[in-house]
Amino acid sequence: MEPIRIDPARALDEAVRAQSKLAAGVRTLQQVEDVDYGVTDKEAIYREDKLVVYRFKGKNKPTAKAPILICYALVNRPYMVDLQDDRSLVKNLLALGEDVYLIDWGYPDGADRWLTLDDYINGYIRRCVDAVAKHAGVKKINLLGICQGGAFSLCFASIHPQKLQNLITMVTPVDFHTPDNMLSHWTRGMDVDLFVDTLGNVPADLMNWCYLTLKPVRLNQQKYLGMLDILDDKVEMENFLRMEKWIFDSPDQAGEAFRQFIKDFYQGNKLVKGGLKIGEKDVSLKNITVPVLNIFAEQDHLVPPAASRPLGDHVGTTDYTQLAFKGGHIGIYVSGRAQREVPPAIHDWLAKRTK
Amino acid sequence: MANNSDRTLEDWQAMSRKYWNAWSDATRKAFGSVLPEAPATAAPWHEGLEQWSRMFAANGSQNEMVERLMAGAKSYFAMLQSLAAKSAGQGAAMDAQAWTNTLRESFNFPGADAGLIDNPLARAMREIAGQGAKGFEQMMENLAPFTKQAHALLGMPAFGYLREHQEQYQKFAQAMLDYQEQSNRYNALIARASRRGFELFEDKLAERGEPGRQIESVRALYDLWVDAAEEAYAEIALSPEFREVYGAVVNAQMRVRKHVQQEVERIATDLGMPTRSEIDSIGKRLHELRRESRSRGDIAELVAEVAALREEVERMKTAGTKSAYGASAAHPRKTAAKSVAKSSKPRKG
Repeated sequence: MEPIRIDPARALDEAVRAQSKLAAGVRTLQQVEDVDYGVTDKEAIYREDKLVVYRFKGKNKPTAKAPILICYALVNRPYMVDLQDDRSLVKNLLALGEDVYLIDWGYPDGADRWLTLDDYINGYIRRCVDAVAKHAGVKKINLLGICQGGAFSLCFASIHPQKLQNLITMVTPVDFHTPDNMLSHWTRGMDVDLFVDTLGNVPADLMNWCYLTLKPVRLNQQKYLGMLDILDDKVEMENFLRMEKWIFDSPDQAGEAFRQFIKDFYQGNKLVKGGLKIGEKDVSLKNITVPVLNIFAEQDHLVPPAASRPLGDHVGTTDYTQLAFKGGHIGIYVSGRAQREVPPAIHDWLAKRTK
Repeated sequence: MANNSDRTLEDWQAMSRKYWNAWSDATRKAFGSVLPEAPATAAPWHEGLEQWSRMFAANGSQNEMVERLMAGAKSYFAMLQSLAAKSAGQGAAMDAQAWTNTLRESFNFPGADAGLIDNPLARAMREIAGQGAKGFEQMMENLAPFTKQAHALLGMPAFGYLREHQEQYQKFAQAMLDYQEQSNRYNALIARASRRGFELFEDKLAERGEPGRQIESVRALYDLWVDAAEEAYAEIALSPEFREVYGAVVNAQMRVRKHVQQEVERIATDLGMPTRSEIDSIGKRLHELRRESRSRGDIAELVAEVAALREEVERMKTAGTKSAYGASAAHPRKTAAKSVAKSSKPRKG
């Protein structure tokens, strides 16, 4: 039997259907408003240099005993966790009674070129954690690290365990040398000293180019062809454009921090191999004795699940839980399934452990 | 046979007429006018898409997005035309290899870059927008005349008081030649991935010969090709060879950038302007000063914390002493413990 059964009339029909979608798209694209994001009310409780710590305001007062501080990656903007009304990790956590804070790193510029991982982890994050604890009137808080922010949170929990009640990591790379980790594979031949000495801060466009080349056809052609299907739907188009805006709204990377992150994490894999130092402090995952919840995405092309899974083998805590989410690196925040599964999982896990 | 062939041509012309009529209809509905130049029925189908995007640009909205949509849809429309034409001529009697060849040809549509023949992955990479990547490509285009002279420069001996400058130029020339060489190696791997993509596509297509698994739309065929292309790309991109070449091309690009920066710095110095090195140096000193000042702040915080702890210990001692000699002497430990708990009680939670 032949593999393809496309008759000419059917192909023509398909083309005409695509044309009518394009025609409808003219109207839709004129109607879509400038998409915005970050739907939940918030107040700034701490500022330092370009970072701001926000506390989100829910409809009701939080009932949780300790607040959650979300530590996002440096490579994208953190509003992915509060993208829109029906796609918001923050909103769902608030509805469950959690008290949610978030670090917004801002956009580094030339003045931030010399910021090191020590400045970020033992400096900024430590002071943000203190500010949140003070604001909430508690001694210890819950830290929720996402992606690169998760790797930072692991370092923080190892160095400053006394400041945390619980640690949650989401789509966090731990073992950077798994065979399916394309980003890690590519960075290992790079002379990162030459790279940072030449570029200073690493431009966001260059970072985006690198991410897009992970799946060049899917991310540069197929995705936009898929847009044809929704061109006649204003709401779907607005959702699509909002996501596009987030994907390409990327800060430049502070040069020195980037240098160390590539050398020690991507190239040296020191988080699992050992020998990692942040400033003067040694980092060992064995020092993490607080309860840990590790959530990763089974179809993640940026942080493969195999890179996250080994965390349980390396942490010192006896209270380790892991949750495999059926979805991708972004779907874990914005998919319908994520709204139903992720916030309750975090809330229930915390409720059993927060004193 | 001649009659059959004539009929096929007629069918195809009729189909193309329908296609362009539908475009005219669609543009009239969308823009209130027909396509400015109605293309001949023999024109490539993606030409309609081009004209559509030009009318959109004139409308002045969402240009960036339309450009991206164009990049994605062009291959699809080319595939639509190619497969429709082929099936009009051949009927269903084509095997996986014949369909793969048709698909391969559809990527080489008229107007497509001749340098990207049979290399759809390279096209997808070129379509990635981003000034971080584009800026460097533009710079290399501007430097093309210099690159042509680079070979000649390399062989010349450096001497005299401008010897150092000449040596710098020679290193710069060498860096550019090296970058070109590494880029060629990288492009060769992408081309290999494209070829491998077609092989995998053929395999995947052959699996669709089973009843119930046949492909019935061009879109489904396109999606199958994307799966094959990505699989092939991942195969190459995760290979040790790609790792080495990727590192080499990135490092070579950085060396070229560095030489350009050095030249700019030399000119800036000659003109009495501040250079990036100087600004970096100031930034670094400023950052070190801030760190020192912060660590002093941290020490001050620690001193305050120690003072607070001392006070707490003093309170505990006093409470303990009072308990020992006071009315509640029978329960000194309990009282002291209570006091500690009270003083360390958080404000909330």
